[in-house]
Amino acid sequence: MDAENGEGQVQVHLKTKQEHYAVPDVPYAIDGTMTTVELNTFLNALLRNKSGDESAIDFDFLVFDEYLRGRLCDHLKEKAISFEDAIEIEYVERFPAPQPQDCLLHDDWVSAVKVSGKWILTGCYDNTLNIWTHKGKHILTIPGHTAPIKAVDWISLDNDIGRFVSSSQDQTVMLWQWNVDSNAVECVSICKGHERGVDSISVSPDATRFATGSWDTMLKVWSAAEDDAGGDAASSKRPKENGVRTPIMTLQGHRESISAVQWIDTSTLLTTSWDHTMKIWDLSLEGIKTEISTNKSIFDASYSNLNRLIVTASADKNLRLYDPRTNQGSIVRNTYLGHNAWVQTVMWSTTEEFLFVSGAYDNQNKLWDCRSPKAPLYDLLGHGEKVLDIDWSNPKYICSGGADNTVRVFKSRKAGVETMDDK
Amino acid sequence: MAKKQDRKRKVKDEATNDGASGSDQSDNAEEEEDLLQTVKEPGEDSTDDEGIDQEYQSDSSEDLEFESDEEGNYVGRKGGQQESSDEEEVDEEEEDDDDDDDEEEGGKVEDKPTTSSKAETNNEVAPLPALPARDPSKQEYEDSDTSDEEDIRNTVGNIPMHWYDEYKHIGYDWDGNKIIKPIKGDQIDDFLRKIEDPDFWRTVKDPQTGQEVVLSDADIALIKRINSARIPNAEHEEYEPWIEWFTSEVEKMPIKNVPDHKRSFLPSVSEKKRVSRMVHALKMGWMKTTEEVEREKQQKRGPKFYMLWETDTGREQMRRIHDPVSAPKRDLPGHAESYNPPPEYLFDEKETKQWLKLKDEPHKRKLHFMPQKFKSLREVPAYSRYLRERFLRCLDLYLCPRAKRVKLNIDAEYLIPKLPSPRDLQPFPTVESLVYRGHTDLVRSVSVEPKGEYMVSGSDDKTVKIWEIATGRCIRTIETEDVVRCVAWCPNAKLSIIAVATGSRLLLVNPKVGDKLLIKKTDDLLAEEPSNQDIIDNERIKTAVQWSTAEAAEQEKGVRVIINHFKPIRQVTWHGRGDYLATVMPEGANRSALIHQLSKRRSQIPFSKSKGLIQCVLFHPVKPCFFVATQHNIRIYDLVKQELIKKLLTNSKWISGMSIHPKGDNLLVSTYDKKMLWFDLDLSTKPYQTMRLHRNAVRSVAFHLRYPLFASGSDDQAVIVSHGMVYNDLLQNPLIVPLKKLQTHEKRDDFGVLDVCWHPVQPWVFSTGADCTIRLYT
Repeated sequence: MDAENGEGQVQVHLKTKQEHYAVPDVPYAIDGTMTTVELNTFLNALLRNKSGDESAIDFDFLVFDEYLRGRLCDHLKEKAISFEDAIEIEYVERFPAPQPQDCLLHDDWVSAVKVSGKWILTGCYDNTLNIWTHKGKHILTIPGHTAPIKAVDWISLDNDIGRFVSSSQDQTVMLWQWNVDSNAVECVSICKGHERGVDSISVSPDATRFATGSWDTMLKVWSAAEDDAGGDAASSKRPKENGVRTPIMTLQGHRESISAVQWIDTSTLLTTSWDHTMKIWDLSLEGIKTEISTNKSIFDASYSNLNRLIVTASADKNLRLYDPRTNQGSIVRNTYLGHNAWVQTVMWSTTEEFLFVSGAYDNQNKLWDCRSPKAPLYDLLGHGEKVLDIDWSNPKYICSGGADNTVRVFKSRKAGVETMDDK
Repeated sequence: MAKKQDRKRKVKDEATNDGASGSDQSDNAEEEEDLLQTVKEPGEDSTDDEGIDQEYQSDSSEDLEFESDEEGNYVGRKGGQQESSDEEEVDEEEEDDDDDDDEEEGGKVEDKPTTSSKAETNNEVAPLPALPARDPSKQEYEDSDTSDEEDIRNTVGNIPMHWYDEYKHIGYDWDGNKIIKPIKGDQIDDFLRKIEDPDFWRTVKDPQTGQEVVLSDADIALIKRINSARIPNAEHEEYEPWIEWFTSEVEKMPIKNVPDHKRSFLPSVSEKKRVSRMVHALKMGWMKTTEEVEREKQQKRGPKFYMLWETDTGREQMRRIHDPVSAPKRDLPGHAESYNPPPEYLFDEKETKQWLKLKDEPHKRKLHFMPQKFKSLREVPAYSRYLRERFLRCLDLYLCPRAKRVKLNIDAEYLIPKLPSPRDLQPFPTVESLVYRGHTDLVRSVSVEPKGEYMVSGSDDKTVKIWEIATGRCIRTIETEDVVRCVAWCPNAKLSIIAVATGSRLLLVNPKVGDKLLIKKTDDLLAEEPSNQDIIDNERIKTAVQWSTAEAAEQEKGVRVIINHFKPIRQVTWHGRGDYLATVMPEGANRSALIHQLSKRRSQIPFSKSKGLIQCVLFHPVKPCFFVATQHNIRIYDLVKQELIKKLLTNSKWISGMSIHPKGDNLLVSTYDKKMLWFDLDLSTKPYQTMRLHRNAVRSVAFHLRYPLFASGSDDQAVIVSHGMVYNDLLQNPLIVPLKKLQTHEKRDDFGVLDVCWHPVQPWVFSTGADCTIRLYT
C-alpha cells in the first residue's frame, strides 16, 4: 500500500555546489512524503552535526533540475522516476524573499523604469521623466516629450554626470545629460527618424550606441556619443537643426511593431516583435543572424549573459524560455505558467544565473527561478493596477512601474549582502 | 392313340437320324451334356469376344445362306456391340456390365448356329413342307432354348400370314420354291371331318405352313396342366422332400477356423482407382448417373412440360423467410404469476397505487400485471385482454413481418463530420486579456486602426474614445451631441480618419494618434474644401445630406468634417480604399442608403426605390459591388453598371449584420433569430451553412483580415470564435470549425455583446458589450 502511494522510503544523496554547506555524501533513506520543510530541518540537523553552527538556513531542493514544491513522491511520480533508484537532491540556499521597500508616487501611469546605482529613472504617461533615489526621494521631473514615454535607459552614470535616453510615442528619442550635483538636466539631442511611437530602447554595453524599436517596425541604431558630429556628417544631406540626431543604421525586417530591444554584445542585438518572431541582428553585417518564430506576439524579452537564454513574455499568460543557440528540436526550453493575465515585461537577474522577474497585467510581479516552471519563487505584490515595466538592473532593487501611477521598489536582500561583501 | 404316338415318334426319330450325319444320336444323357456345353462354352469364351466373332465368321464363311438369313440378327447384335463400345469409352463399369452381356450374347451366338445347322439338316432331309413329327420322348425344346424358334420350313419369317391370303402359296421353302397352300375344304368338308375324324378335336392348323397338326396326348396333357394352372412338367414333384442345402440354424461358432485374409479388409487399390475415375467422370459430366440418364431418356421420350411462370421458383424463394427470427424469450413465470400466489407477492395498497400511477407509462412498471389470488383454478376468469392482444398481434404480423432487421450500429461520433482539432488551428483567441473601461453606457461599436496600435469605440454615453490597445489606456475622449451608433476607422493606412455616426450627423474625426506626418496630411486634406461645386446635386440629395466643415470648438476635439443627414444614422462603413463611405438610415425610406465620396465631398443615393427596411450595407473588398441587407434578404449591386447582381435569400426574420471575407467570395450574415449564415457567393443564393451557435440574437459578425477566423457576438454575452478557411481551390468547400466560446461580458438589460471586431494583424478579437466595457481576447 505504501509502495502504491509512493509513500515508502526513498534513498537520496544530498549534494550542493555551495561548498560551505556540504554534507557527507552518504545515501540517506527518507520518507517519500517529505516536503521542503522537512528536508530543511533534516539538512539543518546534518549541518549542525557537522559544524556545530546553530543558525538555521533555508534551503531549496532541486530534484532532477527542478524545484521540489510539493511532496517528494509526487514530484518523482510526475517525472516518472523509479523509487528504487538513489535520487540525487541538490540543495541551494534559498533566495531570500525580496522585501517591498518603497512606493514612488507619480502623476500618471509609469511605463518605463530603469535603475542605475542609487538612481531610479522613470518614464511616465504624462510625458515626463522622473529621477528618484532608491530611498524614495524625488529628485527631478523632466518634461520634454509631447507624448507618453514608453522606454528609458541609462547610458552612463558617474558621480557627476548621468546620461540617459528616453523614447516616447511622439516618435522621438531624447538624449539627456543630468548634472547630479547641480541637479540640472539638459536635452542633449532629439533623435528623429521613427514614424510612429518608439516602444523600446536599449543602450549598448559599451555605452557608445543605443538601439530603438518602434511601431513603424523599424529598428534603428543611434550614436550615444555626447557630440554627434561623426554620425551626422555621415548621413545628413540637409542642414541639421541643432541637437537633432539621425540614426546610424536602420534595420528593416519585422512586420509588426518591435516590442523589445536588447544588446547581446556590442555588435549583436535581440529584438522581439508583435509579428511573433524574435530576431538576433548582427550589426557588423547589418542583417539578421537568427530568427526564432513562435506562435504568439512577444511583448518583452530578456537575454541573460549568464546563461545565454532568452525569456519572453506574451499575451497568453505564459513566459517562455528560448535557447537561441539550438536550431533543432524544440526551441521552447520551458514554459512558466503563473501569471493570470497578459505578461507585459520580463527581465533576467544580472547576477543570479537562474533568476528572473516578470510583471503582468494581473497586477503582480513574480520572481522566478528558471528551474521551477510550475510556480514562481515569490509573488511581489503591491501594484493595484497593471504592471507596465520592471527592472532589476541593480541587483539590490527590483523596481516596477504600473498603471496605478506608482513605482514599487523591492529590496533583494541577498544581492544586497553580496554587493556589500564585494565592496 | 398310343399307336399314333409311336408312329409319330418314329417319324421324328427317322428325321433326326437322317439329319444326324454330324450330330449324335438322340440320347438324353448326351443332350444333357450338350446343354451343359452350351452353358459352359460362354464361360470359356467370355475371355475373348473376338474368338466368338471369329468362330462365327468361320461358320458364316462356310454357309453364306445362313449369313444372309441371320444378317438382321447379326447386325443388331453388332449394333449392340458398338453401343457397348461407345459406352466403353464412357465408363469402365458399364463396359464390364457389357462384357457380361456379351458373354450372354456370345452364348446365344453359340447356340444359334447349332440350331440353325440342325434346321439346315432338317431341311436337307425333309425338303417337303411336311410337319415333322415331334418325338414325344424328346423334350420340346431340347435342341433349342428359344421359344421363338418356330417351324422354319417356311422362310417368310415372322410376318402376318394373311398377306398370303390371296395367293396359292403360303411362303417359300429353303430352296426358294413356293409352298403351296394345302387344299382346304369348305365348311361341309369340315363338318364331315368333324363327324368322321375322331382326332378332329385335337387337330389344329399351323398358320405358318397351313398344315393341320394333330396334337399328341402329351400335348393335350400339357395344355390341360397349363389350363389348370399347374406346373406344365408332369414329372415335377411338387411335394418332394426338402433338402436343406443351407441350414437354417444359426451356428454359434464360425464354421471356418481360418481368419479372414488380410486383403479382404484392405481397401482395394484398383477399386479405389476405378471409383476415383468414376467420380472424376461424374464431375466432368462425361458419365451420368442412372437417374440422369433416365431423366434424359424421359425428356427425349415423354411429353415436355415447362414452367408457365419463369420466375416462379425465384418468387417462391423470395417469399420465404431466410433468417427467421425467433420470438424473444420470455421470462419464466414466477410466483407472482400464479393464480394463488403467496401473500407477499400480492400488492399492498401502496404498490397498487404505484402500479396504477404508471398507467401512462406501463413499461416502467415492475410487473406488467397485478398479481391476483383465487381460491381455485376454476375461479380464474377468462383472460380479459385475449381478443385485443390477438388483434394487436395480427397487426404486428401484418405490419412487421418477422424479417431480420439489420441494425446499424452507428456511433454518434461517426456521424459528426471530421473536423480538425481546434488545437491544430491555432492561433486563435482563447482568453480575455484586457478590459477597456471608461465608457458609462453601452458601447455600440468598436473599430481598430489599420496598423493595430489604437482602436476607437463609440458608446451610448455620447462619447467616442480612442484607446491604446496594448495597455488599455484611453488616449482621448471625444464628446458628441448624440448617441454614437457606429464608429469606423478608415481602412486606408495613409489616412488618419475615423467616421463617427452620432445621431443624424456623421463626423469625420482625426484621432491624432500614430504618425504625426499622416495626421498633418489628413488635416490638410480635410481642411480644404474641394472647389468643384459646379456639379449640381439634385434636390433629393440636397435635402438628405449636407456637408460642412466643423466649427472651431469641434475642430479642437478633432472633428474635421460633418455630414448632416436627415435621419438618424445607424451604420457607417468604409470602402477599402478609404475614399468612399456608406451610411444607413433605416428610417430614410427610399433614401436609406447613402454613399459619400470624401475627396469630392459629394453624396449619392444609389437607390431610387426602397426594397425594404435596410439594416446594413457593405462594400465588396475587391470588386465595385455593394451589399445591401434588408430585413430578410441581401441584395448585391454592381456600382459601375448600376444593376442588381444577386439576391441572397437568408430565410431569416431579421438580419442584424454582415461581414465579407477579405477575398470577397464569402459573406457571413448574423441574424436576430440566433443564426449565422455563411454564403458562398459563387455557389448559391442560399446559405452554404447555417450556424446556430448562439443562444440568443446574434448582433455582429466579423472576419479576420489575415487569419482564417471569424467571430460572432450575441445577446447571450458570448463571443464565439470560429475557424473559417476558404480555399483557393474552387472545388473545395470552406471549412468551418467553431473554436472557442468567450463569455466574459456581463448581461445588462438583455443585451450581451453588441459588436465584435478583429485586430487587423493579430489573432485578437475585440468585443463591446452592454456592460460599458470593451474586451480584448487573445
